[in-house]
Amino acid sequence: MATIEVNGLRKRYGAAVALDGMTFTVRPGHVTGFVGPNGAGKSTTLRTIIGLDRPDAGTAIIGGRRYAELAHPMRHCGALLDPHALHPARSGRNHLLWLAASQGLPARRADEVLGLTGLADAGRRAAGGYSLGMRQRLGVAAALLGDPPVLLLDEPFNGLDPAGIVWMRGLLRDLAAEGRSVLVSSHLMSELQDMAGHVVVAGHGRVIADAGVDDLIGEYASLEAAYLELTAGVGGIR
Amino acid sequence: MPLGFALLLTAGGVMLGRGGIDAVQLRLLGVRLGQAAVAAAGVQILAGEYGTGLIRATLIVVPRRWSVLVAKAGLLTAGVVPVAVVGVGVAVIGLPLSDALLRAAGESVLHLILVGLLGLGVAAAVRSSAAAMGIVLGLLYLAPMLLWMLPDPDWGRFLYRLTPATAVQALTTTVDDAGLPLGPWAALGVVAAWTVGALGMGAVLFQRRNA
Repeated sequence: MATIEVNGLRKRYGAAVALDGMTFTVRPGHVTGFVGPNGAGKSTTLRTIIGLDRPDAGTAIIGGRRYAELAHPMRHCGALLDPHALHPARSGRNHLLWLAASQGLPARRADEVLGLTGLADAGRRAAGGYSLGMRQRLGVAAALLGDPPVLLLDEPFNGLDPAGIVWMRGLLRDLAAEGRSVLVSSHLMSELQDMAGHVVVAGHGRVIADAGVDDLIGEYASLEAAYLELTAGVGGIR
Repeated sequence: MPLGFALLLTAGGVMLGRGGIDAVQLRLLGVRLGQAAVAAAGVQILAGEYGTGLIRATLIVVPRRWSVLVAKAGLLTAGVVPVAVVGVGVAVIGLPLSDALLRAAGESVLHLILVGLLGLGVAAAVRSSAAAMGIVLGLLYLAPMLLWMLPDPDWGRFLYRLTPATAVQALTTTVDDAGLPLGPWAALGVVAAWTVGALGMGAVLFQRRNA
């Protein structure tokens, strides 16, 4: 199965250093949590992996290839980065139909992922009227459209109601158990503790720690305690 | 939507009758209005996606950014061509057929296509509808006026020949073109140069920058 290999990514915005040699590998079979203070470079790393941001140096490889080299990229890597990246007047279903057509996928895939994400009814309404939680579900539906072996999700729990959080946790765990590489950035340590098998802790655009969740819990009692200890003194926003 | 306006404005020249010294130029005055709407279409086809955030979905779907720009340019041209042909055709309807008329009408169609692509190029460079429209409209309408305010009239006259506004005047003129600052085909060349420049810069920036 496909891995995500992030190797020596560097990126600066003027004087601010966003990425300073970010390096880690995401392996299939378990959820990998991606944590760190605001400004640690998590979102920039995810955006760089799928080619939205251009790094100054370094590479990001998905299953052996750069995202931009993939002919039907959504069949190789599904991404939920910006739940607001949609046409507000288009219905959720039409949004997915457009995406499916662009990837050479049959239209029925749109209805399948709508059902999978609980949007079967809301799918006919204009996406501009969706709540954040519904947009997150639509974003997950889009990420799953191509049945990709690699998934990237940036703060997928934002805006979900408690039932939605439980659903998302189970879904991501199942997707990883099917042998996919799943990278989830989040600030919710308790969610990750229950869900993730591995955690990458980022700070100042670098990896501070890259370890199994069980190892961290064994050493620090909880993932939250481990996070606070590891990121102590790492100011996020500079 | 902007293309609908472009059609109306361009074809509207037909209302101007056949009076005057140069009936063709009079009829083709609509091109000077219609070009704003065509430019708006060119801007909107890309900058509109930045407004809604859809561009990030588009670039996830098609990460090769060259392909996105080429597809947009093709789609835009496919939309502008029928509008320009019908608009210009209606504008000059009933005028006596001549080489000069065909030349002016044909160049008007090409001019509208180029202005649309100019809008697309500027939009790719600045990523905002409002900023791109400001630049394009400034270039099409404001630039010639500002150039006459230059302290050195020689420079003003030289630069004046290089604006697309002068070009549209030159390429629609069929009578007494000796007094024009540049010939009809050179005028189209000026517009083409602006378009190629804007598209080139837009493509490089679009390729290199963050979405």
